[in-house]
Amino acid sequence: MSDSLHTFRHSPFASAPRVFNLLRQGLCVLALLAAGTCAIAEQEAQPEFQEATAIVAELHGALVHIMQNAPSLGYMGRYQQMDPIIRQRFDTPLIVKVTLSRHWNGMNDAEKTDFISLFHQLSVATYAARFDSFNGQEFVQTGREQLQAGRVLIKTELRRTDETPVKLDYLIHQNQQGEWRIISVIANGVNDLSLKRAEYAAVIKDRGFPVLLDDIRRKIRDMETGATP
Amino acid sequence: MAIKCIIGIPRTWVLLLVIAALNGCAGPQTKSDPIEPANRAFYTVNESLDRGLVKPIAEVYEKITPAPARTAVTNFFDNLFYLNVIVNSFLQGKINQGFSDTGRFVLNSTLGIGGLFDVATGMGMPIHNEDFGQTLAKWGVGEGAYVYLPIKGPNSARDLPDLVTSALLNPLTYISGGILLPIQALRIISLRANLLDETRIRDEAAVDPYSFTREAYLQRREYLIHDGSPPTKGYEDIFNEDPDSESQLKIE
Repeated sequence: MSDSLHTFRHSPFASAPRVFNLLRQGLCVLALLAAGTCAIAEQEAQPEFQEATAIVAELHGALVHIMQNAPSLGYMGRYQQMDPIIRQRFDTPLIVKVTLSRHWNGMNDAEKTDFISLFHQLSVATYAARFDSFNGQEFVQTGREQLQAGRVLIKTELRRTDETPVKLDYLIHQNQQGEWRIISVIANGVNDLSLKRAEYAAVIKDRGFPVLLDDIRRKIRDMETGATP
Repeated sequence: MAIKCIIGIPRTWVLLLVIAALNGCAGPQTKSDPIEPANRAFYTVNESLDRGLVKPIAEVYEKITPAPARTAVTNFFDNLFYLNVIVNSFLQGKINQGFSDTGRFVLNSTLGIGGLFDVATGMGMPIHNEDFGQTLAKWGVGEGAYVYLPIKGPNSARDLPDLVTSALLNPLTYISGGILLPIQALRIISLRANLLDETRIRDEAAVDPYSFTREAYLQRREYLIHDGSPPTKGYEDIFNEDPDSESQLKIE
């Protein structure tokens, strides 16, 4: 290769076809290698995608169920249906840690556990309150992507009659126990985790952590009673 | 009136450029909010105006106007302001999209009876969302500071020049007389009515609506700049700051 480069520098026009040939061969080899790597990566990633896809499908199945049976279940029924799914399929401890950011480090274990529990209730309440009617909504998986550190992104759409679909992307990772868990939900490019992180930081800074706890508890009560601010 | 508007534009330019310069328009991409106290003050004013006047009218409008009529009004204004989309499609080098957008505008303005009906989507010319802020982003201009404007609401410094270009490409800028007021009023009411669901979700979820609005706006802009496929790196950054998981803690 160094020979060909040497020739190229001294007599570019004479040796250009040779260099192009070498380049073409090189590119062909690279393409074959890339194709092989992709095929291997695909095979290796397959079980991860299967686990991640199954988790999202399970969540979506539960959401369709609570929407279709919303009136008979009522808010509490929907809450009870969603509670175990969120508990088992979301990595709430990591979500909370990232959401509280610097404040997390100053908390003791009891405070952390209490906040994780409160945040879990907020997540369940939000699903129970928001998915409260069925108008032919349908969840469809549209893509998947292997990300850094073994994380997986599952891309889906919530399709609605006569309305633009909502793109829902799920970021999923394997926790320390080796279980696949959802760590972030992104709706039409808006990441709920980032919103909460910014909000919580602002409330903690301006009004203090106890006020944040009170605000979250109030939100949960409002969703239960159907009260709108 | 038309002359007055055009004369007013350079002044607006100067004001916007000063604001942009003050807030680091040319700086690196950050989600900074250096004028948060002023932004929050304007946010409070806008929220009071919204709760006291605009939102109640929009709710009544949504209640009494049949859905097809609301869709026709939305279509009409989308079409009226579509020149801004066409120009910015071309400025971003999206040539095919630019021609499609031009065809869309012509079809909807004629067959669609002044834009009331969207006939173009069914003919393979879908609606696009482009503006000069997105064009500047494509050209490599940094986001700059977050700026919350009275009446207008959330913006980044990079989005401010679009106020001028969209005004120049807005046919309403060049008309005057008594008809302008009801048209503008209908536009504001229609815009607000279309956002009722979004603000309902915000009111239901947000513990700090100002921060919620800022983050949602900035992320939504990234989403639009990348035509609905923002780089996934942004999703992961938040987890890469401190990779240690706390998953050993349980929900009790």
